[in-house]
Amino acid sequence: MRTAAPALALALVALLGLGFQLQLPRAFPSDADYRAVAEALARARAPGDVVFLHPWWTERARLFVPADLPVVGYLGHTSDDLVDHPRIWVLANEHLPRTPDADFRRNFLPDRTPAGESRQFGPLTLAPYRNGRARKVLLSAIDAFDRLEVSVEGPGVSPQPCQRAGGRVRCPFDASIEIAWHEVLYQPVRCLFILPPSGGRTLSIRLPDSPAAETLLLESGITWEHAWLAGRTDVQLTLESSAGALHLRIPGAHEGLVRGETPAVSAGPWTLRLSTTSTQDRQICVRLRALGGSP
Amino acid sequence: MSRAPTVLDRRIALGLWLVAFVVLWATERAVGFVRDESVYFAAAEQFARWWALLFHQPAAALSDRVIVQAFDFNHEHPMLMKSLFGWSYSLFHQTLGWVRPAAGFRLPAFAVAALIPAILHLWGSALWGRRVGLFAALCFFVVPRHFFHAHLACFDMPVAAMWLLVVYLFWRAEEDLRFAPWTGVAFGLALATKHNAFFLPVVLTPFGVLAAWRASGENGRRVLVHMAETVVAFLAYLALLVVVKGRDGLVQSWQLLSPQTFGVTALVVALAALALRLRRLEPAAFVRLAPLVAMGLLGPVIFYVHWPYLWHHPVDRIAWYFDFHATHVHYAWTYFNDVLRAPPFPLPYVFVVTAMTLPVSLLLPMGVGLARTGLRNLGDLVPALGRRFGRGGATEWLLGVNALFSILLISLPGVPHFGGVKHWLPSMPFLALLAGREFDRASAGLSSALGLTARRSIAASVGLGAIVLLPALTMTIHVHPYGTSAYGELAGGIPGAASLGLQRQYWSNNVTGVLPWINAHSRSGTRLWLHEVNGLSFRDYQRNDMLRRDVIPTGGPEDADLAAVQYHQEFREQEVLVWQAFGTWVPATGLYLDETPQVVVYRRPTP
Repeated sequence: MRTAAPALALALVALLGLGFQLQLPRAFPSDADYRAVAEALARARAPGDVVFLHPWWTERARLFVPADLPVVGYLGHTSDDLVDHPRIWVLANEHLPRTPDADFRRNFLPDRTPAGESRQFGPLTLAPYRNGRARKVLLSAIDAFDRLEVSVEGPGVSPQPCQRAGGRVRCPFDASIEIAWHEVLYQPVRCLFILPPSGGRTLSIRLPDSPAAETLLLESGITWEHAWLAGRTDVQLTLESSAGALHLRIPGAHEGLVRGETPAVSAGPWTLRLSTTSTQDRQICVRLRALGGSP
Repeated sequence: MSRAPTVLDRRIALGLWLVAFVVLWATERAVGFVRDESVYFAAAEQFARWWALLFHQPAAALSDRVIVQAFDFNHEHPMLMKSLFGWSYSLFHQTLGWVRPAAGFRLPAFAVAALIPAILHLWGSALWGRRVGLFAALCFFVVPRHFFHAHLACFDMPVAAMWLLVVYLFWRAEEDLRFAPWTGVAFGLALATKHNAFFLPVVLTPFGVLAAWRASGENGRRVLVHMAETVVAFLAYLALLVVVKGRDGLVQSWQLLSPQTFGVTALVVALAALALRLRRLEPAAFVRLAPLVAMGLLGPVIFYVHWPYLWHHPVDRIAWYFDFHATHVHYAWTYFNDVLRAPPFPLPYVFVVTAMTLPVSLLLPMGVGLARTGLRNLGDLVPALGRRFGRGGATEWLLGVNALFSILLISLPGVPHFGGVKHWLPSMPFLALLAGREFDRASAGLSSALGLTARRSIAASVGLGAIVLLPALTMTIHVHPYGTSAYGELAGGIPGAASLGLQRQYWSNNVTGVLPWINAHSRSGTRLWLHEVNGLSFRDYQRNDMLRRDVIPTGGPEDADLAAVQYHQEFREQEVLVWQAFGTWVPATGLYLDETPQVVVYRRPTP
């Protein structure tokens, strides 16, 4: 063989590889870049703001962002409506290789509009967005936890009330409710963490005094790795309010939150009923909020 | 062309072995203890104690009760490497005090892993020239994940070395009968290293039989046909036993005097008798078959003898061993944002992960080398391809099959897919050899095109080799000691792999990146949760002075003061539970490799 082409091809590929490695560190923000971002956020922040990481895994930002400012970064977060947050600070690093921009454009950008100038901090871009999917949160079941009336109902048996013990509500038939952080399909969710009652009984959660709202948003899912397991039972949820009954079902091997909304409700009580025929691996995260219009 | 290496190439191989051994030893201190490794450390210590008992009280040591006490722990893997780890630890750490405990265990692993570059040079230089041998040796060793696995007192790199050794000796024995018994011995050692080696006869038998057939006259071929008939008869007998007794019954009813033992004995005796007959009738054909005969005779014997756990109850304990690996649990594994938990796994997985983890300057010659070998081998069957690309021949078939076998085996959708590249490591030395040939062709072409003198041609080869190997070397230096996180340029490096949704890391060893911070920010009695780090590893970090000895391990974040969470997609709940327990989502520090979170540390806020 009298051609130098293979050698040149090998050398070219090697040099491209080397070049990639040499330029890669330019995509990495320094601690000073992150601190500058944190200072900018501290100055400009308003109640209800949230920081949104792009790509989702760039969580080193958590080390620097003000501790009381929520940071959202999980696989699938571009589809999160972030209804609690009228303004979203997108902290992006588009210099990183294979940044999933198409996913960002397809799932995040709809209904979100720039709400100011973006600023550059090294390779980081900080840009505020008005969140068109935000709603006024009139009430969250988590905030009303102390007022919830919880009992277990069974066929032909009068409701058996549950007892409060510290931050937890303990019920007959191994059921309980508490407020806790859990993961539902990679999403960290602060929710009503519910262990349903055994024997196919129904857990009843009643709030006696809810405000009028445009809708009640009910979201529910199985936590962590218990979700995908085959052969597990469905969970049935029914939300009764002045708007009627909203039925939701978490299928046996479903991962992620299932969602449902009621029509407008007037002020008054609502009751959430939850049951499953087998409690094995059915650890449930429930988020229930009364929503108004745009904030 | 003789298959024997020259004296100079033997010396170069020895030098490569030595350099690899020293480099591994010099760089081992930073490498964390992977989950399995600390189990093997503990097993090795236990076995070393048994060997000491055997020396002092042989009668007691040889009873099944004592053997079970010593060897029941971690009996899912055979003993060779664990025995070496234990002896080395006893000698170099406990007795001589020359090295820290972990290095004591790991020294045999370095020695065995260092065989790979040495054998690659011996083989490559004999096949296609010194340039091939040297490039193959270096290109295998500088791959970040290979370099990482070569440090571990585990079995993945040792079985890759043993696999290469067996196939190399088999190839030598096809020419020189003196290598046949060594092939058998090496096969026995391979069986004693890890269960992958049980597939070696599947790979090598067609080569030995075909070579013997070609070297045989009419009488010899008749003997070979009888051998095939014997094997078929045995398989039919085995099938009958399965039908009568069932799969479980076949194992459970296997005793010294049983139809099963009769069948195996009859098979061995018949094949041995036929082999002797072949030797008498057709000596040239017997030479080709001799390494297989040696493997068949010596391999099982060495496997049985090396493992005291099998001595009193060989059948049921071997049956358990096979059953354990045949029904191995599937660990979660992230692949393009899907967490794979159960079969069927994606068919291209192994090829994709190999491409994503190799430095691209080595992936290219490996890929082209494999393609060329495939085309040349097909050229043996299709004359048109043979005219265009040349013909492969037996050796190239041997290299091609071994380069692909482990990759294809793990590609089967039902085979466990966790563990990064470690489960198909036995393929990689062969790909390195084929890459060596491509490098040689490129170097030769360059010299020829430029009309270089011999001396300048060598200089050009060295220069080209340095350029081609440099990206891998820089990548390895950059990522060390976090080899399970390494990704090549095709993936976009470590951050690109994170965006693609590939497994971030595994085996928990990256925790070493946060231990210095933990040591500095703990006080006596600090309760520490090291997520995914098992209790034995926790102990090993402490006894190797990598973690202060006055911190206390906890089983979860609830009762911990400090928590270090390993970033795995399937373990997101664990980090969220720390938020819940500590009341904060703000980490105190972390190991962020090229921005990607690997290990995130939380500190419980003081009230």
